Amino acid sequence: MKNPLDKWLSQPWNRARTLPFPRWVDHFVKVLGLVAVAGGGYVTMLVAYGASPKTLAVGYAPEQPVPYSHKLHVGELGLDCRYCHTSVEETAKANIPPTSTCMNCHSMIRKESPLLAPVRESFASGQPVEWVRVHSVADYAYFNHSAHVTRGVGCVSCHGRIDTMDVVYQTQPLSMSWCVDCHRHPERSLRPASEVTNMTWQPPNGQDPYEFGKSYAEQHSINPPTDCSTCHR
Amino acid sequence: MPTIPGWVKSLLIALVLLSFVPLALIARARVSTSPDPRIHIVHDMDHQEKFRPQEENALFADGRAMRLPVAGTIARGELQADDHLYRGTVPGTNNKEWARKLPPSVTVDEELLARGQERYAIHCAPCHGLAGHGDGPVHRRALQLVNQKKPGMAWQAPKNLHSDPELILSSATAKKPAGYVYHVITNGFNNMNGYKAQISVEDRWAIVAYVAALQRSQGAPQ
Repeated sequence: MKNPLDKWLSQPWNRARTLPFPRWVDHFVKVLGLVAVAGGGYVTMLVAYGASPKTLAVGYAPEQPVPYSHKLHVGELGLDCRYCHTSVEETAKANIPPTSTCMNCHSMIRKESPLLAPVRESFASGQPVEWVRVHSVADYAYFNHSAHVTRGVGCVSCHGRIDTMDVVYQTQPLSMSWCVDCHRHPERSLRPASEVTNMTWQPPNGQDPYEFGKSYAEQHSINPPTDCSTCHR
Repeated sequence: MPTIPGWVKSLLIALVLLSFVPLALIARARVSTSPDPRIHIVHDMDHQEKFRPQEENALFADGRAMRLPVAGTIARGELQADDHLYRGTVPGTNNKEWARKLPPSVTVDEELLARGQERYAIHCAPCHGLAGHGDGPVHRRALQLVNQKKPGMAWQAPKNLHSDPELILSSATAKKPAGYVYHVITNGFNNMNGYKAQISVEDRWAIVAYVAALQRSQGAPQ
């Protein structure tokens, strides 16, 4: 098979012409085409992978004004989540505790620690410690903590193993598809309401968590709605 | 077949290799944590000009979006006139005499004791211990720090709820009866801060009932 370029060049009236591009470009264009097709797919994949909340939101671990360690207070001392986050069972929001809660113990324990200076200052002045919020959903999504914890969705399902974190970070995407997944299959994340703050809960008698959740959802008529107005009001 | 010059090939290979850099960065971002603010690509109405609980509002001098009731005002239904229920004292004694029983509006049943047990485990057990012997994990940790001669320790051992005869609730001669224990939970005592901000009135009475049950379980005189 003769190259059409050679054929074109073999015409006497074309011989004197200069080619606009070197001859290898003709070959290179095919390679480039291949790269462009593969590259297009690659870039699409890259955007989907990179822009996912699993990349952008998960792993957020803001620096806090006081290096409060949940690992020490929850993991080692065994404080219940509700000792500090008192409103979680009654209201939409799981409150950040007031400074006085810290001072229940720290008025007697490590009173001189420089790390606790902002807590002592806050307690003396009445100005709150400016903790940085870690978990949040969009302002048009109305998540309600009490609706979840009183029905048996454990803290660990959305917040991860807080009891092992020195610095709290986001472990779940908290995206809409992630919420809807659980609303469609609540049995994957259900436990007795009395065990919601237990970070290592397992169903009794070696029961399969999925089977337990299924029967628990049935017994307690847990059918999370999936219509828009459930979360968007 | 005319061959592609070496420099073009090298350039192409270099570009292809470079294109893997963002992939590697994304893969790293997926498995690591970062204190940097989250990248929010499409804002839509995700961050609205409104104030949610515990947020900041520069409009007010104290910077808080949440406001306290105006000083001296009482919300409807918040008068708390019932001395027995809200202060643990016998009505009509000008808050001078501790009530010996639970308020009439609180029904002692299994449900109340279960609630009391749960709330006791959350708020009291860290210091007083699950069984009330004053040996909770916070106390043990504090002792550890004291023994290690850490600075700034002013720890006082929490009360053993079974050792002090005055604290035995069900005893007819108790100097510190149910109403007093309710008062201590509410307003604190010695180094113990009050828990009125953390525990609701009903839950405080549930804890009182549970403590009485706990004392009986440990052989207290009836």
